[in-house]
Amino acid sequence: MKRLLLFALAAGTAAHAQRPSIDVSNARVQAYPIALAPHSGAPEGADVLEVLAADFDRSGLFRLLDPRSFLADPVKEGSSASTIDFSKWTAIGAQALVKAVARVEGDSVKVEFRLFDVPHAAELLRGDYSAPRVALRQIAHRFGDDVVRSFTQDPGVFQTRIAYVRETENGKQIVIADADGYGPQQITSGSINLLPAWVPDGRSLAFTSFRDGGGAHLFQVDLGTRAVQPLIKMGDFATGAVFSPDGIRFAFSASKEENTDIWLSPIEGGILRRLTDSRGIDISASWSPDGRRLAFVSDRAGSPQIYTMAADGSDVRRVTFQGNYNQEPAWSPKGDLIAFSGRDEHRVFDLYVVNVQTGKVARLTQNEGTNEKPSWAPNGRLIVYSSTRSGKKQLWTILPDGTNARQVTNEARGASDPAWGPLPRR
Amino acid sequence: MTEAPQTVYRSLLGGDPRIGWLGPGLALALALHAAVVAAAFFLPRFLDRPRPLRKPVIAHLVALGKPRDPRLMPRKESEAPRASTSPAAKPGTAEAKGPVRELTRQELMERALAGAARRTRDEKPDPERAGQETGSPSGTAASAEEGEKYFGEVEDRIHANYVVPSVISERERMYLSATVVIYVGRDGTILKHVMTKPSGNSFIDQALVLALQRTRLPAPPPELAKLVRDEGLEINFKP
Repeated sequence: MKRLLLFALAAGTAAHAQRPSIDVSNARVQAYPIALAPHSGAPEGADVLEVLAADFDRSGLFRLLDPRSFLADPVKEGSSASTIDFSKWTAIGAQALVKAVARVEGDSVKVEFRLFDVPHAAELLRGDYSAPRVALRQIAHRFGDDVVRSFTQDPGVFQTRIAYVRETENGKQIVIADADGYGPQQITSGSINLLPAWVPDGRSLAFTSFRDGGGAHLFQVDLGTRAVQPLIKMGDFATGAVFSPDGIRFAFSASKEENTDIWLSPIEGGILRRLTDSRGIDISASWSPDGRRLAFVSDRAGSPQIYTMAADGSDVRRVTFQGNYNQEPAWSPKGDLIAFSGRDEHRVFDLYVVNVQTGKVARLTQNEGTNEKPSWAPNGRLIVYSSTRSGKKQLWTILPDGTNARQVTNEARGASDPAWGPLPRR
Repeated sequence: MTEAPQTVYRSLLGGDPRIGWLGPGLALALALHAAVVAAAFFLPRFLDRPRPLRKPVIAHLVALGKPRDPRLMPRKESEAPRASTSPAAKPGTAEAKGPVRELTRQELMERALAGAARRTRDEKPDPERAGQETGSPSGTAASAEEGEKYFGEVEDRIHANYVVPSVISERERMYLSATVVIYVGRDGTILKHVMTKPSGNSFIDQALVLALQRTRLPAPPPELAKLVRDEGLEINFKP
């Protein structure tokens, strides 16, 4: 009996209740609340902060807190961790705080920026940023990029440029502008110029042009000298050059013997290689970030769809199966997604992304005009595209989840065909 | 004259020279029977473990609509319905003072209906929304499975506050993994939380703690109340 009791007691101990567990997944990503404290010092600081605020807003990474909600006196409290009353910033929901002190030195403006982690009351970043008075915006872009890198370990894209096509009275011209649309410079004049594509070093652009008559062919412009050179002239037309990530070759589409295919050429010229040879039309090549594959559009199965192939033309795989008109693929810098424009059942083009591994398609735009020609920012965190949502076709940016659409250009006759340039060389 | 035979009464449990050792054996048999009956009555109480709790299946409300033709381009994902939980009361508000009267079933039903009506009035539904013909106007998914009700609700409410900051690198977000044990009171209050496996990123850990602080859980059913209060509930945060 005694043994039985002992056994029962032991069993009772073993029956210790089991702790249930629950998995919670699919976290929502929310912009990081940041406060840009009013600057102190020279009035130029206000202009710099305005540019920085616009950069942060467009990035989708940060949620700017309304200065009217600030409880602290930013000037009185100074700009060092020992004098800032972080509880006043915590109270308004700030997770990060930027302080700026501006001063003018001759023709230059210098801004001392500090970035603070509010919950931990710690300084994360500090630096002096200076630029000629006429290039104040660069101060904001440089600091903004450093903030992005400090948090995400990814490079920021505020100092990058975007090439696009401007509608003019004299046809379509190639323009380059800062990533926020500021300072557009027209690179070409006369004729019709389309589909700009960056050489990876950022020093030149390839584009398709009708400039020499006899159809569309490929040209290259040096952005330093503005000198234009023919790049490829073959068959009935050659169009849509895209450079491999290592910059040693480029793919393009050309029509030869009444068949439009993707071709490959070394950058210094030489033997051309035909990558596709289907009876359908194969166009709009886009490199994978590792340079091993290309995405392209083909109507070989009856309607234009997105395909990928190895860089030698083998191993062709169809990627999209929904819809009956998918075009303009752009492979993301992270390699996981291909953005494209597709026509829905209302015959309107919108932006989509397809996961290269799973084939799952997600829609980014809807019920807001026509949205086309996606191009990825070099850090993969934004997409620039053309949209008619505000009237004339203009460039807009959007996050890869379809949120935070922001207008970039405000061209009188319209803007299209964007190509996001590479990161600036350090 | 012969003598009438004399009847001798003996106890069956006592020693009887005619039956030898059978008396104590019978006593032992009776004792064993009693032990078996007692064991049958008491042992299940000692040995029976609580029925293993099934892991909840995440249940999304099925969106109301007609299934979309899979050959067409997809529509944008529907916005998630607003969290059904009310935010934690601010200190000093009337709600935080004194005990709150428990609402009757009728009042709860009326509140839920009023909330649903308000959402329906305020939201502009996508006219081409895909879903199921028998789905819910506030649903977000085209299909769903049933889950363990209480744990499903807990998952749902924590998920409503499960937000990570965008500034965390995508690589870290992709491999996010952290475990927090929460101890839940009878009214659903999170009495305390213990981070048993941090993520390794202070921004993420901070966001998880914030998510739990913002979450108001439903009162656990009576059969689970002691368990989730004493043993806790393990929350595994995943990407």
